[in-house]
Amino acid sequence: MSTPILELRQATKLYGGVPAIDGVDFSLAEGEIHALVGENGAGKSTLTKVMAGVVLLSSGAMLIGGREVMPRTPLEARHLGIAMVFQENSLVPSMTVAQNLFLGQEKFYNRLRGIYIAAQQFLQSLNFDVTPTATVAQLGAAKKQMVEIARAVLHDAKVIIFDEPTASLTPEEKKYFFDLVRDLKKRGVSVIFISHALEEALLIADRITVLRDGRHVVTDDTVNFDRARVIQAMVGRDLSKTLYAERKARVRPPGARVLTIENLRMAPMVKNNSLSVFAGQVTGVFGLVGSGRTETFKIASGILKRDFFHGGEIFLNGKPVRYLTPAPAVRDGIAYITEDRKVEGFFETMSVARNIYMGLLAKLGRRRPFTSTREAESVGRKWVEALNVKAIGQDVKVMELSGGNQQKIVIAKSLVQEPGLIVFDEPTRGVDVGAIAEIHQLIDKLADQGHAIVMISSYLPEIMARSDRILVCRQGKIVEEFSAHEATEEKIMYAAIH
Amino acid sequence: MIAALRSLGDRLLGRGEASITIPIFDGALKPNQILETAEVVASFDDASDIATDGKTLFVADGAQVLRVAGTERAEVVRFDRPVTALCALPDGGLVVALAGQEIVIKGGAADGRRWVDAGGTPFHAANTIAVRPDGTLAVTDGSNRHDCAHWTHDLMERSATGRLVLLDPRSGDARETARGLEYAFGACASGAETFVSESWRHRVIALGPDGTRRVVLGRLPVYPSRLVAASGGGFWLTAFAARTQLVEFVLRENTFRRRMIKEIAPEHWIAPRLRSGESYLEPMQGAHLRTMGVLKPWAPPRSYGLVIRLSPEGVPQYSLHSRVDGVNHGIVAAAEVAGALYLLAKGPGRLLRIPLADIDKDIAA
Repeated sequence: MSTPILELRQATKLYGGVPAIDGVDFSLAEGEIHALVGENGAGKSTLTKVMAGVVLLSSGAMLIGGREVMPRTPLEARHLGIAMVFQENSLVPSMTVAQNLFLGQEKFYNRLRGIYIAAQQFLQSLNFDVTPTATVAQLGAAKKQMVEIARAVLHDAKVIIFDEPTASLTPEEKKYFFDLVRDLKKRGVSVIFISHALEEALLIADRITVLRDGRHVVTDDTVNFDRARVIQAMVGRDLSKTLYAERKARVRPPGARVLTIENLRMAPMVKNNSLSVFAGQVTGVFGLVGSGRTETFKIASGILKRDFFHGGEIFLNGKPVRYLTPAPAVRDGIAYITEDRKVEGFFETMSVARNIYMGLLAKLGRRRPFTSTREAESVGRKWVEALNVKAIGQDVKVMELSGGNQQKIVIAKSLVQEPGLIVFDEPTRGVDVGAIAEIHQLIDKLADQGHAIVMISSYLPEIMARSDRILVCRQGKIVEEFSAHEATEEKIMYAAIH
Repeated sequence: MIAALRSLGDRLLGRGEASITIPIFDGALKPNQILETAEVVASFDDASDIATDGKTLFVADGAQVLRVAGTERAEVVRFDRPVTALCALPDGGLVVALAGQEIVIKGGAADGRRWVDAGGTPFHAANTIAVRPDGTLAVTDGSNRHDCAHWTHDLMERSATGRLVLLDPRSGDARETARGLEYAFGACASGAETFVSESWRHRVIALGPDGTRRVVLGRLPVYPSRLVAASGGGFWLTAFAARTQLVEFVLRENTFRRRMIKEIAPEHWIAPRLRSGESYLEPMQGAHLRTMGVLKPWAPPRSYGLVIRLSPEGVPQYSLHSRVDGVNHGIVAAAEVAGALYLLAKGPGRLLRIPLADIDKDIAA
């Protein structure tokens, strides 16, 4: 085998004396697509952040083309030909798509029109349907991801690291993305691909490396892997039969009608949408990106506002409600667990305990004018234990946790409010299989306890496995409802597209 | 003053009473075609109600009451006026409402007992009679302005003159327990309370013996009608039509509605019907009902067929539908006899039969 383009030898990174990665060996060949898989906290993100110059190794070596290097900043890594597309997007929301693409490459005199034209041509060459003049804050999660990918490609990197690149993409967008990755491979670019969707890793990667608890478990050619073997290596136990097992044998009957949405409108995303949510059931909501499913429940939670004139009606437990801010919705027992946890889910520089406590304060409002450090610690401890959050301590900042543990913090922050209606928006996006199982168990438990659960997801096996009833959203309204018995992937997808 | 300002604000912004929104058929009300595939036992010219004593099924058809067994039918009794409500008593007698104006007991211990008024107000549109556990009869009088046949007029005039009356066959007492109901159409005992359908308010309420009211099931997407007890606990609630945004809109446009009532034949009003699709003059309801020769089942319905299975607490469990492209519309009565559910589809005048085991199977599928 020729010299690897990128190699890590006995790479170790310690946080407060605790190893995030411990003696990991990794190599990447030229023009190779290499999938990196593992549970939450397995060390995938840390390993790739080392390569991208975001964090420094505590010990071990990194080699590029056989030459030992140690990038100290992302800029140094980029100069070495390494670019990373982060799991949580790192775009500047107030700038346009084109400005974000060329960020860091500005000249002394910048002609905006020139940047826009170049960005337009470049995005078209990638077949990405993104307007270069649009402000990033206006874009949905999928389009933001596209801009991230485009930026990495634009930097003409020799190694591109994708951290959960397909989590927010629609099936069609995923196809484009895979074509793009294969195109990069043809051009000799090496790709490191982190994904929790194991099918994608098995589909696109040449080799797969599995990490567990910060240690290297196995690296092998993809042809020697199947889903069960990957999961076995990741978690040390066989989860493949239980994770997305269809649960048609036990469908929960509907309880009282908790939420009723009638003819809801919020131009241009939500168009005359009507639906109900019942206690003691998991209501799965499926739809392609842009179908208005998230916006509908954000309106119900007071995060967005419906149209002022003839905007429809929302009833919570039979009473009409019109929330102008999320606070009264929280007080009435509605919890919305966001799909975009980095932006909307937590305060990343605050501790785990403080973040969870913040959820409680949001519920109590003016009834709790003073905060208590002791109470914050006690609440944090309780929920960290309850949700099995793997953190070194409660004082750890949330930004230092892995994606799955961050998601658990976001969930804890809402559950501490003791809501009656809980909306999980993409609850397992960017989360490993072990944590997925835990989150699914939690959703089931909450439904069994009588909570009304809404689970918005773009991942069909998840919708099919967890939902007692499935609503399909298309072009701003619910177009079809399936019972768990009658739903098939084909039927759901057909309703979502046609 | 504040209420008037709020009402004005609601009309301006399209919210509250002026929101013109209707609930969706989802969850337990998720549409299916079970009523369309039901067996048609018999057809009648003017059937209005069905009842059972647990063994025999009785059908009120015009002025006569028939005993129906399989495809055979036999006249039990004939009156001089149409029967608008029917009830079978445990002692073998029958109670009927004649033209909605007189309640008469035929047979049994109280044979010959009759009532023409209650609380000093004559019966006008008596449409349901139900026996309560204490032997009294619960009677709903839909309206004191319009008779049973003119229920559409009552809706379009937004009348609220319905009432619930309790009759004692032993003593002959008649007691009005609730009034001001928006078309009371259906009653059934539930413990000490009586569940009553209030059609124009799209809800089922529970009336206590002391006159207290509570909403059991509100914001229905249909106009509910009669309630009967179901085997295994709970109730069957029938609904004779579904709500549409167009009708809701018309109900809020007083000037338009007054002109419509004055100038247009009632069968062509923008109003719910028990059957539809007979004339091209019928109003289309917000969408093309027919595209490429196919009637869209999800088009806004002018007429509809629905039966809802309720739990003892009044929570919907599942429902049986006949959608826009179906025929078995205008379900006004239900009765369980010998392991089967019998339904009266007043629109086409059909008596339908569905074995309860088949319903369980269809719903589980």
